[in-house]
Amino acid sequence: MNALPIDPALAWESLPALFQGLQVTVFLTVLPLLIGLALAFPICFARMSARRGLALPAETFVVFFRGAPLLILLYLVYYGLGQIEALRNGPFWIVFGSPFGCAIVALSLNHAAYMVEVLRGSLLAVPHGIVEASEALGITRRNIFLWVRMPLAIRYGLKAYQNEVVSFIKGTAIVSVVTITDLMAVANSIFEQTYDPFTPILCAAAFYWALVNVVRIGFALWGRWLGRHNEDEAVRAARAQAPLGISGEVLP
Amino acid sequence: MTNLSLADLAGYLRQLGEGALVTLELFLASFALAFGLGVLIGVATLARGRLIRAAWRVYASIFMGVPSLLVIFLIFYGGSAMLGAVLGEFGARIDISPFGAGVAALGIVYSAYVAELVRGAIENLPKGQFEGARALAIPPLVMWGRVILPQVMRLALPGLVNVWSFMLKETPLVSLAGLQDLVASAKIAAGATKEPFLFFVATALVFIAFSAASLWLATRLEIRLDRGQRRDPARTPARAEA
Amino acid sequence: MNPLPHSLDLAAEPAIAISGLVKLFGDHRALGGVDLTVRRGEKVVICGPSGSGKSTLIRCINALERLDGGRIVVNGIELTADEGTVQDIRQEVGMVFQHFNLFPHLTALENCMLAPQLNRGLSRAQAAKLAMAHLERVHLADQAHKYPSRLSGGQQQRVAIARALCMEPRILLFDEPTSALDPEMVNEVLGVMEDLATGGVTMLCVTHEMGFARRVADRCVFMDRGAIVEEGGSREFFDAPASERLRGFLAQILH
Repeated sequence: MNALPIDPALAWESLPALFQGLQVTVFLTVLPLLIGLALAFPICFARMSARRGLALPAETFVVFFRGAPLLILLYLVYYGLGQIEALRNGPFWIVFGSPFGCAIVALSLNHAAYMVEVLRGSLLAVPHGIVEASEALGITRRNIFLWVRMPLAIRYGLKAYQNEVVSFIKGTAIVSVVTITDLMAVANSIFEQTYDPFTPILCAAAFYWALVNVVRIGFALWGRWLGRHNEDEAVRAARAQAPLGISGEVLP
Repeated sequence: MTNLSLADLAGYLRQLGEGALVTLELFLASFALAFGLGVLIGVATLARGRLIRAAWRVYASIFMGVPSLLVIFLIFYGGSAMLGAVLGEFGARIDISPFGAGVAALGIVYSAYVAELVRGAIENLPKGQFEGARALAIPPLVMWGRVILPQVMRLALPGLVNVWSFMLKETPLVSLAGLQDLVASAKIAAGATKEPFLFFVATALVFIAFSAASLWLATRLEIRLDRGQRRDPARTPARAEA
Repeated sequence: MNPLPHSLDLAAEPAIAISGLVKLFGDHRALGGVDLTVRRGEKVVICGPSGSGKSTLIRCINALERLDGGRIVVNGIELTADEGTVQDIRQEVGMVFQHFNLFPHLTALENCMLAPQLNRGLSRAQAAKLAMAHLERVHLADQAHKYPSRLSGGQQQRVAIARALCMEPRILLFDEPTSALDPEMVNEVLGVMEDLATGGVTMLCVTHEMGFARRVADRCVFMDRGAIVEEGGSREFFDAPASERLRGFLAQILH
């Protein structure tokens, strides 16, 4: 009995196409991760501001773009924004008129909303006494943020950031609905040509799995480097990390 | 602005309502499966056996490492063949519906997360809990059902709430396998009325509202469980042990 | 009393002049109109039961707490809400905390280098030289490249002192610097503080270490319920306390 009938010849033939799909998936991961992170900082500051006029819009942004399913966000940007006449005739149509532009916008907004919460949690985790000690040394607020709060927040928030990046990569698999040929779409089209339900999808699964685990290993190395001030803990964390890197996984 | 007639709108709303019902059924069935399977896997893989632990790692790594959408497609396209391999001729004739594929896929994927939470919670229980129950010669099944699991659920609740709201946001993926759920209905309505903005924002708000409502309930549940913990210490084995 | 190490004209202007200081936490009056003047070079010990407002008092001096009333003048600069003024005062005042509050992600040396680099624009090499000199002063030059998690509590507190010294402040505030330490580490920190006291720096120290107070303090201040109850030279303070409350307090802590 062959429980998982993978066709080795088909798998081999599919490799170039799958690699191309992988490149698209990586592109649609990296760019929104960068844009989302850049957006998350100012929104996070607004969210943490004492002024309601800043905090409320930021909170609304987070609730909407974090609470709405990614697929709906993508539909909303792709189909919904085209409805707006001014946008259709404006200069931004280069972005909103293309599937890639729409996917990047939707993914970035979604990631930004998650990252606001990751950032906020990490910044709030920085012990107040350490910030006070920096203030007492006469360090300016800007420098305290750059040299004390942020470096520590990165350490506290690394696990949450990793979880968000991993779930974000998996989330990109929906972009095929707006005609983008990412890894998932390539597997689907091979299925449609061959009606082999296993080979293309399982190959794509292996690609996703590898991508996710490369990211996990990258984070583990980054965490170890950041954790060098606390070697015991770093060693313990490395040991606790199962070989496949699944230990301590929590959803963001 | 809008050229929707009231009658049309009512029709679309009825369709959306039906779709929402499908989404809700899908979600609850998937969560129930994920929860049951997750608790089972979590408890079963706590054993010290090397083989079992390795199997758990592979299972968790796979289902935490691939997109849910991919698992949905795999089961939807390949489910009949898989059933055929397991059940023989009879299984091969079972047709997999989008709903069934969605429940199976989301249930299996999220069972890995639930199992992880359950394992973590059990490992965080004080060892005295087990020893206390054993000292009182409580049968294992009663021990797990009445003593260990209730406490595990209390410890795992915040994580389960996360799984709950995260899974909710992945239910629309099943519409891509052809399920006529809320999102599929919204897409049809959006296309027919040329009002995509309206329908998609409304759909998003339904998800957000449902998520917020369940979060509110979970918080109240958490408070109640914690209160029970403090007010009724006589029932915990720690006290019974003394 | 004690002759000042500085010239007399400097003594004309106090290091710290506090008048009518009020601090509220919600409805609670943590400080209810405190007056205190500290001369330049003076070593003052503040003691009192917990919740007496002694920590709040010294935290007000470098603006870690906002004032709800009264004035504080530090080396001639009046403390206001203005960020520039606060920054100026903090350059004059170093502070050592009960829980050390070292930067966990930086080595002992880097902990000491950060503020001079950021505030005074020293180069890495200059800051390292300065930091090393002060670490030597607290006898920790050999631990300079260790991270705080690798140091004992006493060592961490000495790094914290060196870190404060690197800004070369003219006033040092200590907020219960030995309360969080294991008993065997208290003396190494007190020893460093006594060494510092022989220099010209002004010290204001919240502590219950009465031996230290006797040896070092020019003046002791006893606070209770947000007010100064009694103050005096360390000898009469301990040997002939005037108020009932101070007598009760001393009887409690000397056991």
